[in-house]
Amino acid sequence: MMHSIAQKEFISTLRDRRFGVLSALVLALLLAATLVGRASYRTLQQERQLAQATVNEQFRNQPARHPHRVAHYGSFAFRPKSGLSLLDAGVDSFTGSAVFLEAHQQNSVNFSPAQQSGSLIRFGEMTVAFVLQLLVPLLIIFLCFGAFTQERETGTLKLLLSQGVTIRQVAWGKILGYSQAVALVVAPALALAAVLLFTGEEFASGVDLAARLTLFVVSYAVYFFLFVVGAVVVSAGQSSSRAALVTLLGFWILSGIILPKATANLGASLYPTTTKAQMDAEVHEQAQHGLNGHDPQDKRAAALKADLLKKYGVDSEDKLPVSVAGLQMAAGEEYSTRVYQQHFAALNATYQRQNRLSDWAGLLNPYQAIRPLSMGLAGSDFAHYVHFQQAAESYRYDLVQRLNGLQASMGYGDKERRLDASTWRAVPVFMYQAPTLGWAWPHLFLPMAALLLWAGLLSWIGLRLIATTPVA
Amino acid sequence: MHLFRILFFYEWRHFRAARGLVLLCCLLLATGLYGIYYGTTEIERQRQHLANLPELTRRNVDELKVKFPGPADAGDIGYYHSTFAMHHPDRWAALSLGLRDVNPSYVKLRLLGLQNQLYATDNTNPMKVLSGNFDLAFVLVYLLPLLIIALCFNLLSSEREEGILVVLLAQPVRPAVVVGAKLAFRLVVVLGLAGLLSVVGMLWAQVPLDGRVIMWLSLTVLYCLFWFGVSLVVTALQRPSAVNAVALLGVWLLLVVLVPSLLNLSVATARPVPQGIALTIKQREEIHGGWDRPKTETMNRFFALYPQWRDTATIRERFVWRWYYAFQHLGDLAVAPQAAAYAHGLQQRYDLVEQLNLLSPAINAQTSFNALAGTDLPTHLQFQRSATRFHDSLRAFYYPFLFGKVEFTHADYAREPTHSFTSQPELPTLYRGLVKLLLSVAAVYGLGAVLWRVRPIIPR
Amino acid sequence: MTYILEAKELRKQYADKLALRGLNLQIAPGEVFCLLGQNGAGKSTTINLFLGFVQPTAGAAFVNGLEVATNPIKIKEYLAYIPEQVMLYPHLTGLENLALFSSLAGYKYPQWELVQYLTDAGLPAEAVQRRVGTYSKGMRQKVGIAIAVAKHAKVLLLDEPTSGLDPKASNEFSELLRRLSGQGTAVLMATHDIFRAKEVGTRVGIMREGELVDVRPTATLNAQELEQLYLTFMN
Repeated sequence: MMHSIAQKEFISTLRDRRFGVLSALVLALLLAATLVGRASYRTLQQERQLAQATVNEQFRNQPARHPHRVAHYGSFAFRPKSGLSLLDAGVDSFTGSAVFLEAHQQNSVNFSPAQQSGSLIRFGEMTVAFVLQLLVPLLIIFLCFGAFTQERETGTLKLLLSQGVTIRQVAWGKILGYSQAVALVVAPALALAAVLLFTGEEFASGVDLAARLTLFVVSYAVYFFLFVVGAVVVSAGQSSSRAALVTLLGFWILSGIILPKATANLGASLYPTTTKAQMDAEVHEQAQHGLNGHDPQDKRAAALKADLLKKYGVDSEDKLPVSVAGLQMAAGEEYSTRVYQQHFAALNATYQRQNRLSDWAGLLNPYQAIRPLSMGLAGSDFAHYVHFQQAAESYRYDLVQRLNGLQASMGYGDKERRLDASTWRAVPVFMYQAPTLGWAWPHLFLPMAALLLWAGLLSWIGLRLIATTPVA
Repeated sequence: MHLFRILFFYEWRHFRAARGLVLLCCLLLATGLYGIYYGTTEIERQRQHLANLPELTRRNVDELKVKFPGPADAGDIGYYHSTFAMHHPDRWAALSLGLRDVNPSYVKLRLLGLQNQLYATDNTNPMKVLSGNFDLAFVLVYLLPLLIIALCFNLLSSEREEGILVVLLAQPVRPAVVVGAKLAFRLVVVLGLAGLLSVVGMLWAQVPLDGRVIMWLSLTVLYCLFWFGVSLVVTALQRPSAVNAVALLGVWLLLVVLVPSLLNLSVATARPVPQGIALTIKQREEIHGGWDRPKTETMNRFFALYPQWRDTATIRERFVWRWYYAFQHLGDLAVAPQAAAYAHGLQQRYDLVEQLNLLSPAINAQTSFNALAGTDLPTHLQFQRSATRFHDSLRAFYYPFLFGKVEFTHADYAREPTHSFTSQPELPTLYRGLVKLLLSVAAVYGLGAVLWRVRPIIPR
Repeated sequence: MTYILEAKELRKQYADKLALRGLNLQIAPGEVFCLLGQNGAGKSTTINLFLGFVQPTAGAAFVNGLEVATNPIKIKEYLAYIPEQVMLYPHLTGLENLALFSSLAGYKYPQWELVQYLTDAGLPAEAVQRRVGTYSKGMRQKVGIAIAVAKHAKVLLLDEPTSGLDPKASNEFSELLRRLSGQGTAVLMATHDIFRAKEVGTRVGIMREGELVDVRPTATLNAQELEQLYLTFMN
């Protein structure tokens, strides 16, 4: 019985010209967004890969140099785009893509796409996620707002029920029928994306990507399902089609436009952060209490030197088998990095507090649940960005300490000597390994639970509400 | 006129009775006030952050004074000393934050090569900048049209659907007067709200009372008039309320959401920006190459540019600061064409958007508000140029110490140049925006007038 | 004698109005019972109560001996309902509408049989594959009748079925009702049309302000008497 109604809704929808036009538009946008997303992914990825290869080559081809000069020459880390970011660019447009890695300091990640465009970018970007998160729900609203009001207005509801169907069966039938229609619009674009992802040689396809894509599709299926159910429930609860439409559109504007911005802004107001200048100054001052690699006058540096003399049982620096400066530098780097890590962790904790308001709003607003979930799966959310920052910093630290170690092993008078050019070819280059789904899972749990909760509650309470809706 | 007054008065009574609409107006007022509050606190925070920077410089100087108790080599000071180029917001920025949260409001500078310092970013929460700013401009550009749509989508259709229109038009009153009175009433409500919010915003942000007050209000009024014009056109088609609502919301979606995002895409494709990444890589190669090049080669290149230091002593030491700073600067010069191309590319992108924003009055209004407040990309580029000049003046300050082998004393810290840059409005952009908005308004009312002429009101 | 429709002390109180005040009614198979009365007399409420679309405040309605309130789904196997305006799904054809509603009632027919039902109900064969959006009111009603016949209903509940039909269509409709009642189908019909009621009805009941004030067999009544009766009660 449910199936008959579902089929009726499906056929009616397909024959409705307005739906035809709207869904063709949405499908066209989706396909265009997929292709454009792929094109921009390619450009950015190639730029970054080329840049990374260039700096790696430059590093390996250095002439004979003193290791500390190499530490200042440094390297760059470029953030590779994640494969699925062609579907959901997430915060990628607002995060930098390149960070300069050098001794003594942690630089900011620079050159974000947002900095390279005017305020136009604040209107939003045409990505697959944008169409899926905001435009498809709008399509669903236009599709479903008359689900019950129209049947009541024309009297077909009575006719249906006089055939011995329950109102609950009618509702489920409608939900099923509308869901099929929505799937028809969305599926081709996602299929195209999947084909692009798994056939394009530039994508490292693998189990992780497949799992992420599957979850991505399932999440959006749940998201659309709850919009269909919600729209049908609202339609059953409202007295006229107009009232149902206005209610649903109001919800769309509130949840898709106003709330995300308001919660993000409120979060930032509630938990202020310091500037990078302030943070760097504090890191520097706190590191001063420890060793300073460039300051041989420093007391602690002197103590380290005294310890070394004692350890090797010699009375002057020139008799030591190691370079005091190199070891002092290593100790200084270790200390300042420890201080930096504390500040960096505190900063990210503050950001997480700022974002938590929005995360919890996902329990009230499905848009704010699908958004973090989608970008988390796509590998373009804040957590993935921090992962890159940490990977770059950890590489920087290892690189600098390796160079300090080389310097230390040069022994006394290292400043007058250089290490052979072949030394630099033995230093490993920066290779970023994007985290797996298992790593991202804890960040995705809350939004996923919120979506499922919404879907469950709507199907349970909403359908109970429908069952009590007046027929005559 | 008498009839007009009666109709106008009845609209007021209908409006008061319609709880939903009153609630909507209150909601807009509340969001507008929040927008003003957010904008002013955000700018206040930025001011606070900027105000803290001189303190950081002072602490840095104190540290150096301890480190170098006596007269020091200016090269050491230039290496360890950092100062800031600061971009102070205009008071108007509180009402239209633009890109002030995306672009850093200061640059930390040392005497080293400029190009790897100029593009450093500040700490930002990407999720927050992604969500955007909830400022007054957002409320006016995004939400006010929605209120206008909610007020106007059933301008005549509700009367028609309830069968009142027949009765109404059976009276000796011209249909144009009926529509005019209804529109006039809504216009008064919306302009009243927008004007109130604007004035509150201006007072709260303590903007200077200059011509920009008129500009802001004109922009707001024209933008509202545009959306009333769209409602008028849709009303002229005389379709049912639900169709009107969908059509108006469709126009909103098109102009406020779809056109901007598509334009963003096409501009990025049409005006690819030369890579900033390539620039910094090249600069690093140039600078570090300086260590390995013969010193005389470096110095001769430098002296060709700064002949006034040519007569200074020939460098025989293994390391000397003036040589170090010379190749730092030569590194900058080597990438000067790239740096100029990068800034030029960004400006061109902006210019193309400005040309094309005639396509969507929403983009035009946002661009114009940002231009008025000086919070968009061109202002940031101006700031970067200003920071570059500041870096030049720093070099000019230190070079005599370095090349003249003058010792740097504690008193010299206070003589170091400082920097301050305050956003300037982009007035030409603003004027062009106003003219274009006027054109959009004229176009939409022209279309409305034609439609009303060819389609007389059908009462049922 | 088992009744196919029965109302026992049926009361319906709406928020602002008492719509039915203790209705008692029995209708046997093959009977055509016409409810006459002004707007608001309680005719539609009675039909809605038999359909279970509204719940009685007191009393009970029975269909084929089953109480409506406790068997809301089961009783619909015996009922067919044709509203005043048969509104169908405009984007589906007449055939598809019939297929949908029959399948909901648990009947799966091959296509030729569905066409048969529609043409038997008087729908022109060329219209069967057309979308209902293009149908006239009379054609939609014929689809409504086909839906009722195709579910082998024991009772037809009709709400002002002939209002707005042209005389030819009305006559065809009366003819059909007679045929169905001849096959044992009971009919409960709410109508304003006393002449049509006399013509097709076996009994007429007159309702006023929620009460069944008079019930007469039509066989013993001529048209003038009926009109007289109606006018008396209406005023």
